[in-house]
Amino acid sequence: MKKAKIVLSLLLIIAAVALVGYTLSSQGDLHDLVMRLDPQNLAAADSRMQKARDRVLDGLPEGDRTKDLRNLDRYLEGYGPQLELDGENGLELFVYRNGPSLLAAGIALAVIGAALLITQLKALAKYRKPAVYLALAALLYAGVYIVENIAGASSMLMTVLKKGAIYALIAVSMNLLNGFTGLFSLGQAGFMLVGAYTYAIFTIASDSRIQVYQYYDGGLVQFALPTLVAIVLAGLVAAFFAYLIGLPVLRLKSDYLAIATLGFAEIIRAIFQYDGLGPITNGSNLLRKFTTFDTALFPFAVAGACIALIVLLIHSTYGRSFKAIRDDEVAAEAMGINLFRHKQMSFVISSFFAGVGGALLAMYQTTVQASAFKASMTYEILLIVVIGGMGSITGSILASFLFVASSEWWLRFLDNELVIGGVQIPLLRSGFRMVVFSVVIMVMVLFYRRGIMGDKEFNFSSLFKPRVKKGGGVRG
Amino acid sequence: MQFGGVVAVDNLSLHVEQGEIVALIGPNGAGKTTAFNCITGVYKPTNGQVYYQDQLIVSNHPQGKMKALYAGQNKDAYKQVLEPTPDRITKLGLARTFQNIRLFKTQTAFENVLIATHLHRTSNLLTATLRLNHAEEKRMRQHALDMLEVVGLADLKDELATSLPYGMQRRLEIARALATKPRLLLLDEPAAGMNPQETDDLGRFIVDIKQRFDLTVFLIEHHMDLVMDISDRIYVIDFGRLIATGRPDEVQDNPDVITAYLGVDEE
Ligand SMILES: Nc1ncnc2c1ncn2[C@@H]1O[C@H](COP(=O)(O)OP(=O)(O)OP(=O)(O)O)[C@@H](O)[C@H]1O
Ligand SMILES: [Mg+2]
Repeated sequence: MKKAKIVLSLLLIIAAVALVGYTLSSQGDLHDLVMRLDPQNLAAADSRMQKARDRVLDGLPEGDRTKDLRNLDRYLEGYGPQLELDGENGLELFVYRNGPSLLAAGIALAVIGAALLITQLKALAKYRKPAVYLALAALLYAGVYIVENIAGASSMLMTVLKKGAIYALIAVSMNLLNGFTGLFSLGQAGFMLVGAYTYAIFTIASDSRIQVYQYYDGGLVQFALPTLVAIVLAGLVAAFFAYLIGLPVLRLKSDYLAIATLGFAEIIRAIFQYDGLGPITNGSNLLRKFTTFDTALFPFAVAGACIALIVLLIHSTYGRSFKAIRDDEVAAEAMGINLFRHKQMSFVISSFFAGVGGALLAMYQTTVQASAFKASMTYEILLIVVIGGMGSITGSILASFLFVASSEWWLRFLDNELVIGGVQIPLLRSGFRMVVFSVVIMVMVLFYRRGIMGDKEFNFSSLFKPRVKKGGGVRG
Repeated sequence: MQFGGVVAVDNLSLHVEQGEIVALIGPNGAGKTTAFNCITGVYKPTNGQVYYQDQLIVSNHPQGKMKALYAGQNKDAYKQVLEPTPDRITKLGLARTFQNIRLFKTQTAFENVLIATHLHRTSNLLTATLRLNHAEEKRMRQHALDMLEVVGLADLKDELATSLPYGMQRRLEIARALATKPRLLLLDEPAAGMNPQETDDLGRFIVDIKQRFDLTVFLIEHHMDLVMDISDRIYVIDFGRLIATGRPDEVQDNPDVITAYLGVDEE
């Protein structure tokens, strides 16, 4: 019974999401169409639509506007059925009649589904079938899609979401090593750099290379790989560097890894700017014109899939061994766990995903320059991991979005001078944001040393269960 | 085994037959734990060898600074160097518990035991991550549960290991060692911190698991009643040197042992 209700509610929500998504996307296409129609036909158009149209039309040069109008017939053909049905005003009719009603139906379905789901949350929390996770993931992506359509792809909100997703992946990859295996690495920026460069180098379109590598005769690499292949390659190259570093360093009992990785990050940054490698790395010049993404769905999909893999790993028998090593190396070894092999695995995998994260970051920034991958970038990630809680995946993800949102958005106002009633508010000036930020972090580290989540994970059941302390049970 | 100037285990030769329960006793600081650590690969002996089922598993001769200290002695007896890491020894079938309990602190009793099933995995990183090892995972969990059942902790499986009372933590360590499917079980003071009743139970328990899993048991213990009750043979060491060996009744009456334990020389 419970199961049926859960399935039903999820189906409802998915149907709702599909409807809303469909409405929004068809509105998007129709948008184009409507905007190319004579304004008089839009007399009754809603203000949002009209504003959007004006904005686009204003932005277009005169020539383009007429050119687009010439293509009108072709566009109209695509919408034949509706137009035939509704005649000349078919477009408006679709937008007005079908659009809002579909949207309303979708929202209604979503509300019903969500209400049903909320009554079953308790059961859902226990119900850990892959289908549930897939449905939740689908919901998330649908949500991102809808938000992106409403807020606009280049809004601040979407910027934060994109960068947040990428940072979440990198933070989780660092947490795998620092939080779950107990190895302290400070090379994240270095592995990201390697990933970013690998990705960029292999996806610049062949005909753009002569521009990008203008000082190096178009560079050495003269082909472009498919995006996903290049992303995987970015991870593999980063992983390979980790493997090499790990060979000597991970055999040592004490914590030389932090020093070695920090050194690696600094050296690799210098090497990638070295002029002699220019035909490959473009020396100290920017890499640009490589394949990027324009919808937040891409980083969400890639980062989401990677984080899912890491979570699966952590809950596998290998992940359990990583945690054993973190808790007590001597005991772990006595349980037959090969310390070196398992540390190597964790380090290489962590670096792989840092490399993938670097590739995504390159796509997000649209340009890559080695000098940007400073140690401070590693510290940012480390902070996110600490704020989120060492050993908590959900903590790292949450902290990533919070961190990116505060540093890029919420605290921006601190950098702008503000004059109220002729009085300049003191302190507010460029750079003050970073000061406040540092103070917030210091307070955080001083008073919430275990981070937002400690080593716990966020889950639904914890919202309902009265918190029982794990250790409270037995006393001898 | 020598630490700087301290010779913790000196010219000691131990022999344990299959199916025996053998005890290693001696006053505090006698070198008992150090002997265990040499056998299980935690320390490499300065000069010495370990055989298991007629196979040489650990071997070392004086190196570096130690070379001078052992000049003219038996350093040529052990030419070969074999320094397996402890995990290799465990894989051979020697499992141990620790005197200063070493449970995985952030994990539950069940998780503690589950980790010990990792060494018999057939899955690799990929198949384990993608959950293609369903059957194996199920077997591992069942085995861990069974071992908790054996030590009587099945009801407490979801308790944080370190929140358990002392005696139970020791039993949990035994469950964890058993989960590695050993042939030889090395117990380092399994009754430490237990009251007489618990110690009694533990004695019966050790005999019980020995029979049930067809084990050989080698234990260090200070509780003499327990040692005398269950051991087939006893080795007594003091200052790293063997001072007596034999059946419990033989050892009990040995004047050297009494002297070592009382710590005074009557003469
Ligand atoms: N890692 C080490 N470094 C230096 N000295 C050590 C080390 N381990 C043990 N020792 C020394 O070796 C000697 C024997 O120690 P060991 O722990 O083997 O004694 P024990 O017989 O187990 O004693 P107890 O009954 O107290 O457990 C002691 O003098 C101890 O100080
Ligand atoms: Mg000891």
